[in-house]
Order: sequence, then structure tokens, then C-alpha cells
Amino acid sequence: MKLTDFLIKLTKIDRRVIYLILAAVVILPLIFPTVERVRVMEPVEKLFNAVDTIPPHKALIIDFDYEPQTQPELEPMGIALLRHAFARHIKVLILSLYVQPLGLAQKALTQVTEEFNSEATSRADSIIYGRDYVFLGWQPPPLIPMLGMGVSITNVYQHDYYGNKTDTLEIMQGIKNYNDIALLVSLSGSSLPKSWVAYSQNRFGVAVAAGVTAVSAADFYQFYQTGQFTGLMTGMKGGAEYEEMVESKLGIKKKRKASEALPSLTYAHLVIIIFIIIGNIGYFIKRRSK
Amino acid sequence: MSISTAPWVWISALLSIAILSFLYRDNPLYKFAEHLFIGVANGYAVTFYWHNILVPALFDPLFRQGKLLYIIPFIIGLLYFTRFIPKISWLVRIPIGITIGYYVGASIPASIQAYIIKQIQGTILTPYNFQTWNAGTMGVIWSVILFIGVLCTLSYFYFSKAHKGILGTTSRVGIIFVMIGFGAAFGYTVMARISLLIGRLQFLLGDWLGIIH
Repeated sequence: MKLTDFLIKLTKIDRRVIYLILAAVVILPLIFPTVERVRVMEPVEKLFNAVDTIPPHKALIIDFDYEPQTQPELEPMGIALLRHAFARHIKVLILSLYVQPLGLAQKALTQVTEEFNSEATSRADSIIYGRDYVFLGWQPPPLIPMLGMGVSITNVYQHDYYGNKTDTLEIMQGIKNYNDIALLVSLSGSSLPKSWVAYSQNRFGVAVAAGVTAVSAADFYQFYQTGQFTGLMTGMKGGAEYEEMVESKLGIKKKRKASEALPSLTYAHLVIIIFIIIGNIGYFIKRRSK
Repeated sequence: MSISTAPWVWISALLSIAILSFLYRDNPLYKFAEHLFIGVANGYAVTFYWHNILVPALFDPLFRQGKLLYIIPFIIGLLYFTRFIPKISWLVRIPIGITIGYYVGASIPASIQAYIIKQIQGTILTPYNFQTWNAGTMGVIWSVILFIGVLCTLSYFYFSKAHKGILGTTSRVGIIFVMIGFGAAFGYTVMARISLLIGRLQFLLGDWLGIIH
């Protein structure tokens, strides 16, 4: 068989064979993990620095807005952010603008608080609900909390996710509205980070950063370039970069789901690039032979 | 290897495999898992709306605490259901009109400021723009590339004049920028889809089968 015939034959390969090859290159690095250096890019570094420099009298809002479809990319970002904030004893306000993310936000919160509390030696070291963080829950439609929190957070969220009156919680004593918020990070698979910019930043001047899925990353970079986003994490790579910062700067050595996935991601990309090249060569040979 | 004994992990794993079976071909298992997911998600949302929003924010104040002012949003909300009564279905325009009016009023000034004015500012070549971009030594070069790229891309979408002469050249350069944009978007899409596959496999191989830790 001539090489050209072989290449043309390759273009007709069954898609299920490609799926199998992809599955193999994704699964093998997970079973036999290799060390891959994570290079931290500027958008993530800026976000890390913005969180790191939050003063004690101000708070961080994390908008957990990922659903099961986008959880693998965005959950590592949320967990790394929580680890960073709790390690620095930054006050954290958690919310979701849709229903489905509520359970996932609670899962991430439970995991990180348990991590910290299992190593705490005193009450001061512990992460305590109502003192160090509050889960505000859900208040639809998204426009209401985005605009309403500029006036009063406890008016928009009169009760937290667990039914407690928010104005009775210790953490909320010094936090009235966006003036007391140093940074708002939106972790979302939709266009919600842009809405935070349009309604909350534009009107009330609160600093906004985002953690977004890779598929929507191209839509968000221009907002980082204009300075409308203080920092930006994109896809699993963005999550891995933040995990790297948390481990190298704060010395927190915990499970890094995004970083562990990077070798699989790299090999899968290589395989896809090879298939694209083979497909294109076959296409041009076929066109020339006609 | 330590296989999970938790029933919910098993249910999640079997449903994940059912969804992934679509890669082979469309089949009843996939359809079952897909319908179950949509049904559960909607059921969860409806009950959450009822217990966390409608009851505490509308029904309790109106019917238990006697706050009569709440009758106005209650009636306006009810008008949505007139859609099912052909004779008075036109009344549905009232709540729709209020909702659209509220959103349009809130979003027009915000969108113009955030999506148009700020983005144009980010494209204009000014000393301030160069400083705030803070892209290191390559900042100036990238600013110029961005400026040229935006102008050429816009010229490609200008259809009131034939694409000849200068407009022909700029529009051809514009196509290159558009293609680079599409390429970046495609690359990110591949990354996102593979990431989702990795996430599922981490669950199947880790939480379910216990092969990875």
C-alpha cells in the first residue's frame, strides 16, 4: 500500500476508534501520574495577589455558579480560593445565582472547612460558620442580588442558606454593602461574570474577578485586558495555576484535582492535534488526486 | 483498588456510563439517563422556588401576615396563567411587559457602559492605555496589533462598499484576525470538553473504582 493511500484510509477511520485512543491517553496518566510543572500565568497571579491583599476589615464574595456540567473545571478553582481565603483568615461570603450550584457550593465548603478544622488546635484556628464565612444561598433573579447588595447585603439575603437571620451573624456586623467587599469572584460556566461587571462594578465600583470554563474563555479575555476583571482563571489549567500558587506561596499541600489532570489534558491535546494534521494531509492528497 | 460501597456513588457511576454510551451510538440507556437528569434538575428547581421564594417572599406575607400590598405582585404573577385561557390570553402581555421593561431599563445603561464604552477605551491607543495594560515589554506591540486587528476586522464587516483597494486589503487582514479568533475559541473548546471527560473519569476511577487516589 502506498503512503498516500494509507493516509487517505486514515481519514476514514471510525470515530469510535478515535474515542478509544482518546480514552486511553486520558486514563493512563491518571492511573500512572507524572509530575507536570504548572507555570502560573499573569491573570491568575493577579487574582491571587488581589485575594492575598484583602484587608481584615473587608470581605471576599465568591459566587459559586457552576453546575454538574462544568464542575470538573470550576470546582478546583472554588476549592483553591476557599483554601487561600481561610488560610489568610479572610471573611468569605458565598452565594449562588442559580439553584443547581447550591449543592455543589455546599460540598466545596464542607470539604475545605473539614480540611482546616481537622488540623486546628484552637477555636481561633478553626473555621467557624457565621464568624469566618457565611453561605448566603440563592436569591432570584440574578439582577436582584447584583444591584441590591450595593445598598444592603442583609436586605437582599435576609436569611442564609440554613435559615439563620443574616443580620444576627457575627461576620455580617462589619459588612453592610459593596463598600465592605474587597473583591467579588464569579465562578461560572455562563456569562454571569460579565453581568457582575455591568451591574455591580459599573454601578457600585466593586472589584470583580472571574473563574470561567475554557470553552467561554475567549469571551472573557477582553474584560481582563480592559481591567474590568481584576484577575481571571480559565478552564482546568487556570484552576491548576491557582492550586500551584496556594501550595507554593501558602504551603498548603492538599489534593490538587486540576493539577493531577494536566498530564491527561496535555496528551489528549497532542492526540487531537495529530488527528487534525493527519486529516488535513489526507484531505489535500485526496483533492490533488481528483 | 477499593470499589466504593456507597449506593449514591454507584448510581452516579452507572448513570455516567449510561450517558457516555452515546459515544457508541444513541440508545435507550442514554435516553433514560438524559431524561432523568432533566427531570431531577427541574423538579429540584420547582420545589426550591416554592419553598425558598414563593412561600416566604409572597404567600406568607400576603396570607399569614396580612400585608395587603403583596396582592399586586400576586395578581400580576397570576396573569401569566391566562396564557392557558384563550379568551383572556392577551392579559399575559402585562407581566411580560413589566418584566421586559424592568430588565431593559436596568440593562441598557449598564451594557453600554460595560460592554461598549469600556471596550472601546481598551482598544484606543493612549499612553494611559499602555500603562494600565501592564503587559510587560511586549505591551506596546500588542496594543498596536490589537488596534490594527479591531479596525481591520470591523472593515471586513462593512458591506456598504465593495471590498476593493484599501478596504480589500484591510478586510483580508481582518479575515486573518477572525480566523485566529476562531482558532483560539476552538482550542479552548477542545480543552473544555477534554476537561469534562477527565472530571468524569476521575470520579469513575477514583470515587467509584478506587483505582486512583
